[in-house]
Amino acid sequence: MLDSILNYMASDQVMSVLRAVMFLLVGFILARFVSRLVQRMVLRRFTTHHAMIFRRLAFYLILGLFVASALRELGFSLGVLLGAAGVLSVAIGFASQTSASNLISGLFLIGEGPFGTGDVIKVGEITGEVLSVDLLSVKLRTFDNLFVRIPNETLIKSEVTTLTRFPIRRFDLQVGVAYKEDIERVRKVLMDVADRNTLCLDEPKPLFIFNGFGDSSLNIQFSVWAKRENFLDLRNSLQIEIKKAFDAEGIEIPFPHMTLYTGSVTDPFPVRMVGEQPSGDVSSDNGK
Amino acid sequence: MSQKQSSMPWWSPRELSAGQGIRCVLGPLSLQLFRSADAWRVWTSREEWDEAQPAQARMTDLDAMPADEAAERFVFNQSPARVCLRPMLADRPVVVRARQSVFVPPGEEAMLYLSTPVWISIDLGDPARSLREIPVLPMSDTWFGPSTREGELCYAARTHARNHLEQVPRRPHRAITPVKVRNEASSLLPIDRLSLPVPLLSVYGDADSGLWTEEVHLTRAADSDLAGLRVVPGVPNMAPRAERLSGPRTEPGRGGLVRAFSDLFG
Repeated sequence: MLDSILNYMASDQVMSVLRAVMFLLVGFILARFVSRLVQRMVLRRFTTHHAMIFRRLAFYLILGLFVASALRELGFSLGVLLGAAGVLSVAIGFASQTSASNLISGLFLIGEGPFGTGDVIKVGEITGEVLSVDLLSVKLRTFDNLFVRIPNETLIKSEVTTLTRFPIRRFDLQVGVAYKEDIERVRKVLMDVADRNTLCLDEPKPLFIFNGFGDSSLNIQFSVWAKRENFLDLRNSLQIEIKKAFDAEGIEIPFPHMTLYTGSVTDPFPVRMVGEQPSGDVSSDNGK
Repeated sequence: MSQKQSSMPWWSPRELSAGQGIRCVLGPLSLQLFRSADAWRVWTSREEWDEAQPAQARMTDLDAMPADEAAERFVFNQSPARVCLRPMLADRPVVVRARQSVFVPPGEEAMLYLSTPVWISIDLGDPARSLREIPVLPMSDTWFGPSTREGELCYAARTHARNHLEQVPRRPHRAITPVKVRNEASSLLPIDRLSLPVPLLSVYGDADSGLWTEEVHLTRAADSDLAGLRVVPGVPNMAPRAERLSGPRTEPGRGGLVRAFSDLFG
């Protein structure tokens, strides 16, 4: 009994299994070592992100080679395996279509590099800081501190705005003033406010665009530039200052109002008195 | 004591014992410093300021702590006695816009006197350690470069770009930079806006004539978009007795070419 067990232990089968296990172990250790080395070398020239990808690539390549050798030790014929893998890969391909498409999109995204880690991007409704760009997805942190994972395919297909690409940004303020106001005076008041605000850039100059005659107001676009980091501060301070300046200058920002017309060209609305109010008050109320 | 101190310029160091303070009004900025045994307290406030009005530097002694709560407190094991308000230049280039258009004809050179508001560094102790830096007059941001994609963030200031020294008003919170502009190109050089690389300059102080920086030479070459910049080292000729108060913030890059004139903008 013992003899037969010993014989069996010394047989080729067991030895080949042992060798296969050795191959796997050595392969795993070597792959880890080499991939770290690769990462360190790549880090000198490329970003952290690229280094991580190269590291993974090296790891799986080396591990794959050793797994193949181990399989051969176990007596599997690689040719047959690869043939089977060919058939299998079609099946897997169909099954993992989304992942594959994300993977390819991820490669393109990394190659194109429209944004990197730390940039603030806007995709659809979501705005957030990029935490990492991976092969399958991009991870964002939104400003209300939520973690959002966006599949790379979505990013490749849709419009992505990188908010932190250029050092300065423009803020477009849409404001309406009443029809009675003098546009030149409004322009001067707005320019003075921009001039006094230290966050507002002197150059490129603030832009005043008269957008036309709206339903209840004269529509104006006032565009000012700010350093990217100061954008929110400028947006707040400028609007507050404009409101104050308009109030001080007596410039009216009108509410939407509507004139009712009864159909005939001349006839006014019939007004009927209710209660005992003196007529003078009622007419002044109507005037408003 | 206050008599003696008022004859000293505002940037000279002072020794204060615990329970004393100083109040410094410098143009728009008013600064109060108070020393207690283990802390220094700093109050800053600014008033609305029109740069056309004459500015004064007033130093007064405080014997009691100001009642205002909104102080910044810097704590020490034992608070240092020596305090110095050291003038520094801004941390970004200043783009000065001339109130009247200035032109330099081809082959000509002109001397312009430009002044920029200084920052104050509150230095305590010996050797001095800077507690914080405060701009005397907050300047508006501006962008100086060929496009909105490349360029440099600067501060904006207005100037009369006077070319006679005696016309330059002496304001205690501004440092005067003599700028010699030379036009070697064959076309007229308009100077509506000029970028003054103040982080490369030092501040010199003279009790009589105020604050100065080194002389700067800007040369517009015949076929270049950029201007050659040379900072003439040492005290400017106009204030030979001035002493150096603080050094440049950054070292100049190689080549000494800068984008300095605004007609090259866009």
